[in-house]
Amino acid sequence: MAGYPTQAEITRAKWDRLAPRFDGMASLGAERRWKPFKTDLFSHMQGRVLFLALGTGLDIPFFPPGQDITAIDISPGMLAEAKDRIAAYPGTIRADVMDVHAMPFAPDSFDQVFTSCTFCSVPDPVAGLKALHRVLRPGGELLMFEHTGSRHLPFRAMMDMMTRLSEKVGPSMNRDTVSNVRAAGFEITEVRNIYLDVVKTIRAVRP
Amino acid sequence: MDHRLHYIIGDFLVSLVVAMAAAALAWALVGPSWNMWLAMAVMMPLGMIVGMVIYFPLGSRLGAMEAMIPAMYAGMWGGMVVGMMAAMMPLPLHHALEMGAACGIGEIVFIWIANTILRGVTRDGKAK
Repeated sequence: MAGYPTQAEITRAKWDRLAPRFDGMASLGAERRWKPFKTDLFSHMQGRVLFLALGTGLDIPFFPPGQDITAIDISPGMLAEAKDRIAAYPGTIRADVMDVHAMPFAPDSFDQVFTSCTFCSVPDPVAGLKALHRVLRPGGELLMFEHTGSRHLPFRAMMDMMTRLSEKVGPSMNRDTVSNVRAAGFEITEVRNIYLDVVKTIRAVRP
Repeated sequence: MDHRLHYIIGDFLVSLVVAMAAAALAWALVGPSWNMWLAMAVMMPLGMIVGMVIYFPLGSRLGAMEAMIPAMYAGMWGGMVVGMMAAMMPLPLHHALEMGAACGIGEIVFIWIANTILRGVTRDGKAK
């Protein structure tokens, strides 16, 4: 008898469904507007790098050349769409279908972990961040480009309302990712707001 | 405020158009027989929906949060203010549109000021 789908299967199915039209939804405006900030964040890539949730590879053009990157995504549909961008990257990207909650990497496998608009969609964000904590070496760095909820009432109320709609098809708009990073055991070194206190970069280290 | 001119102009025009559209909707729906607070409660979410509808085709040019948040706010304010005014007195369409435009301009200026205050390095991080 077939059981209920797991959370990972539900998430995978949701992103597989979106994959063919994801670039049209997300790439043109958001990626152009965020390009300088993402390029700046990704310029810090060095050593053994894990990139979480590669998606259709929209971030790949912002990666510095010559890196050796391990990339994962829960959705095979998304990675299929990323194939050409991976091939065009002037460096190495090994992309695998993988759930952040069940990564088979040994502890301390990476020097850095990068995420880009990811933790709005990971079903259990603190557990996902703890999984990243495990695979980072002590002293290793987590670098995130994320949109989050706001701490300020007029924006917080709006993000809460938007989340009621948006999480049915994709991301949650009102997560407190900074607190989640702290709750997962990281030490936050810098939070830089890019737009209001909604779009931001977060840098943290594994103590 | 974004420092790139096309985004400044785009954000401004979206807020203006959304607030005027929400104002026109409020003018069409709400009349002096309405309770003012009911008009406010109805037009706030309707204005946000107007903002969302206008945002979607423009988002591919103007971005995600940077376009969506001002659009929804402009709709909320334009709909709410003009809805409340239309509940209090007979309102000619051109007055409704002028009020909508004022709401849109006021809203985007508020967002730009808030963004100027909030953007940059926060106190959340411990210096390395």
